[in-house]
Amino acid sequence: MVRFKSRYLLCEVCVPDRSSLQLLEDRTIYNTLRAAVNRAHGDYGSALFNIGVIVKYLNAHTGVVLIRSRKKHYRLIWSALSFITCLENRGQKVQCFLNCLHVGGTIRTCQKFLVKYNRQQLHRMLPDCKTDAEKQEVRRAILSCSLSNVREEEAGEDGSDDDGDKET
Amino acid sequence: MTGAKDRMREKKMKNQPRNVTYTSSGRGTGRGQGSQACGWVRGHQPGGHSYSQDLPKYITASYFAKARAAEVNAMLKAVSKPAGSCHVFNALPNHMRRRAMSHNTKRLPSRLREGAQRLAERSQRAAEKEKKQLPRSRSRRARRRHGNLLLEFNRRQRKNKWLETHIWHAKRFHMQKMWSYCLPLKPTAKSFRASYRAMNTHALLQDLSYFCCLELQGSEEQMLRALARLTSKQTGPTFAAASCLSGARQGSVHLYKADQFPQGCLGPADFLWRPRVPDASDRQLWIWIHPDLKQEVLSELQLVCQCSVSVSVSEESGPAVERSAGRKRKRDEDDAEEPSKRLLGDGTRPAGAPVRWQSPDTTITISDLTMEIVRYRLIGPLAHVVLTDTLQPASEEPSDAVSLHQQQTEVFQLLRGVCSTAELPAGCVLGLTVDDPRLTLPQKRGKSVPDLQQSAEDDRLRDLRLTGVAAHCSQSALWDTSARERVTHSRLSEQELNRMRSELLVPGSRLSADGQAAVPLLLVHQGGRVRGEERLHWGSGWDLLLPKGWGMAFWVPLVYRGVRVGGLHMSVKHSQFMGQPHFPHDYPDCPAGVRFQSEQEAELLEKFKRRPPSKRTNYIKHGCLAPFCCPWQQLTEEWEELVNLSTENVSCCRTGASDFTVLRSLKALRRLSAWTRPPSRRNSSTLTHATAAALQQECGPSLVWVRLRLLGKGQPALHAMVCAPTTSDLQLLLQDAHSSGPQEPRHKDHLKHLRQHKTSPEEPARAVRGVFPAPLPSVLSHCSRLTLGWVTQGDFSLAAGCGEALAFISVSGLLHTILQQPQEQRGLVLLRNPSSLQYRFARISIDV
Repeated sequence: MVRFKSRYLLCEVCVPDRSSLQLLEDRTIYNTLRAAVNRAHGDYGSALFNIGVIVKYLNAHTGVVLIRSRKKHYRLIWSALSFITCLENRGQKVQCFLNCLHVGGTIRTCQKFLVKYNRQQLHRMLPDCKTDAEKQEVRRAILSCSLSNVREEEAGEDGSDDDGDKET
Repeated sequence: MTGAKDRMREKKMKNQPRNVTYTSSGRGTGRGQGSQACGWVRGHQPGGHSYSQDLPKYITASYFAKARAAEVNAMLKAVSKPAGSCHVFNALPNHMRRRAMSHNTKRLPSRLREGAQRLAERSQRAAEKEKKQLPRSRSRRARRRHGNLLLEFNRRQRKNKWLETHIWHAKRFHMQKMWSYCLPLKPTAKSFRASYRAMNTHALLQDLSYFCCLELQGSEEQMLRALARLTSKQTGPTFAAASCLSGARQGSVHLYKADQFPQGCLGPADFLWRPRVPDASDRQLWIWIHPDLKQEVLSELQLVCQCSVSVSVSEESGPAVERSAGRKRKRDEDDAEEPSKRLLGDGTRPAGAPVRWQSPDTTITISDLTMEIVRYRLIGPLAHVVLTDTLQPASEEPSDAVSLHQQQTEVFQLLRGVCSTAELPAGCVLGLTVDDPRLTLPQKRGKSVPDLQQSAEDDRLRDLRLTGVAAHCSQSALWDTSARERVTHSRLSEQELNRMRSELLVPGSRLSADGQAAVPLLLVHQGGRVRGEERLHWGSGWDLLLPKGWGMAFWVPLVYRGVRVGGLHMSVKHSQFMGQPHFPHDYPDCPAGVRFQSEQEAELLEKFKRRPPSKRTNYIKHGCLAPFCCPWQQLTEEWEELVNLSTENVSCCRTGASDFTVLRSLKALRRLSAWTRPPSRRNSSTLTHATAAALQQECGPSLVWVRLRLLGKGQPALHAMVCAPTTSDLQLLLQDAHSSGPQEPRHKDHLKHLRQHKTSPEEPARAVRGVFPAPLPSVLSHCSRLTLGWVTQGDFSLAAGCGEALAFISVSGLLHTILQQPQEQRGLVLLRNPSSLQYRFARISIDV
């Protein structure tokens, strides 16, 4: 049995101005990436892009993008990422660059990395805060993203999940 | 319309976070699941859930932090919840997964099997519309499992009685259901030689509580008068033997139907009188019989003592209330009222079955004490050492019996100085009151060794060896029903004992016996081999009689002293090595023996038929008429005919075809035993035709129990034939002492051609190939040598170092043979196994 192995590229969209992130959509990223691969690697590149590349997850608030590609060709896609200078969406151009944070074999490993990374970012944000209110906010955010919270949520949601199952 | 595949994927992906974007927020609520194809699967509708807020004017650090935190939470949720792949196969650790788990669900542990089977069914029915399956009710086994294990055990005991040590045995032995008991047969480990060594040098333990005890109470003369009808003085000491009557010794006796000696044998029995109590004329007698005999002996006793009125009946056996299996365990108030108790005693007796009978004329009362008394047998020369290690005489005693207790304790201490159990006279009885042996349980199992330092020149020790225990020391409280009940009920449970042990200040020290009830018991010495001249007193031991309920309390301390445990198989071998007939194997004239023989024949025939036809021994070609069952009646009749023909005794005073008996009269046995040995100067009676004929008239058609010892090679098997040697055979032996013996010429299988035809419709039973069909031809003269009898137990004897067999042979045949043998070679016979053509020489001895 032959498996299709994939690689997940965890990227971050870095913009100089945070507010311009708002219009991010997965189709935008997809199209931009396809154009970049076409420019860099030609027909061969766009054919490969067509096969296995898809944007799996996008978070517009934090600018995190998860791209999936086949294992054979992920380096090709990765190399094309550095050629992206701006994202186009409905005529508006946003200057940005995609920073690849992590390459993983499964979504789960990328998610684990993302958890660690976000925690690090939050800890780094704390000394940079200027006002006290900000500091409070940041601290609350740090405390809120702990595993115990997740477990409580799970316990609360299990009941609702079972109901959901029974209805279908 | 969502298909099963999509539903499955949705279930797998339900924990994954969706895209977090700004744009879907506004329109999401209006159009339900938005039209934007964002999400995990292309074509799948649900739009991402996002923050339902407008685009913020300023993005500040706090906002960013919140976003980050939310994302982290979402990721954590996705990571920690292991949804996705089939939980059935993922729940197994790696080393337990097997290649073909998915289509062969039997490779999974039973707890996961149902889920896997459901999955398999579901995948098969993927095309149809699936209905939600109702949760299956648990199997009958699962429903009855955690109820009350004790009730389950009590229920199982209603059909076959369990011994007190049943659970201990069931874990270590192969069990067999016999005579309405569930008895241990053989250990699961290979231990024949180890058990023999234990019997020879150390000690072997057996649980013999399945022997039934009948109690007779009444005045001595009336009891003796009644019981004299059941026994005969010719077979040996009866119930009225002087040493046994005082209560100092246990005796054994053969029981017959009332006034029918020598016909109508019932079987052997052991008996024990209670020592005389001053100022009481009533006496108590215990008769111990095999459970197969019980009904017959009971009816004979009732006939003889004229006890037909049943006095008391057995109550409902204990608070073993049977509850419906479906109740939950939460009913605490019910449980607190009636804790279920273990079933003690006879569980198969229906409530209302009579237990005691009284007679209106004589003052005798018969009670049935089956399973009321626990009986353990220790066999071996160091049995007394094990007993002195395990039992501690009670420290406190009720004041009325202080001196008796002291005397019994002294005798018990004297036992330590004895070197071997065989030194004491056979059958002596010692009563004792001991503490709970669980209090002095050693931490580790060990082997009890004899204490060699005790002085052997003690006068009292010498008296003990010569005369045994005095009669008054054989008294014990075990004889009283009320004392037994009291002791049974006042037993500490294991839980209590463990609690006491945990409360000790110094862990591991001995528990004190203050305030605990002392257990009355009886120690009965069993003589080993008392007849014959070789290996006397082999297999002697002690019997331990206890009140019911105390079985396990004594068993575990005994086992901790390093004894081996044996089952039914070992008791057969014990009798075989002692050269004594074992009930019911070796009693062909008793009804129980006849039953046993027919069962054995059926079993052996089944085993024979199971083999493929070309691999079976062809008994017809070997000339063996009766490989499975011995036709004793036919044998004795034919010998009678032959002898009458040869002596030309026309006026035969034989009374037609009477049933055969087994010769048990001691006088006749002594004479026969003298005649089967080469003559020495000591022998008084000489063998002539006249004396032989006289003996034969006396005995009638009968069999005698003999022991055969092979001179050279050979191992006798079951139902081997004992044949008379011809003069040429004896001469052969004279010339060459190591000759192996004559050979039987092979017979023709005359039934072979009959079987090749089609079986005619008149023949209901098909003849089994290789076995003679039912009406046997002449048993005597079928082979080249005259058949004298058959072997009932034969094996290589570890004690003797050569093949030994125990057989029954016809008395007339034996006399006929001996008369024709030269004097120096008297007592030599030939032995032939059923599956062989070789005769082996053997020497007869009759043990008296």
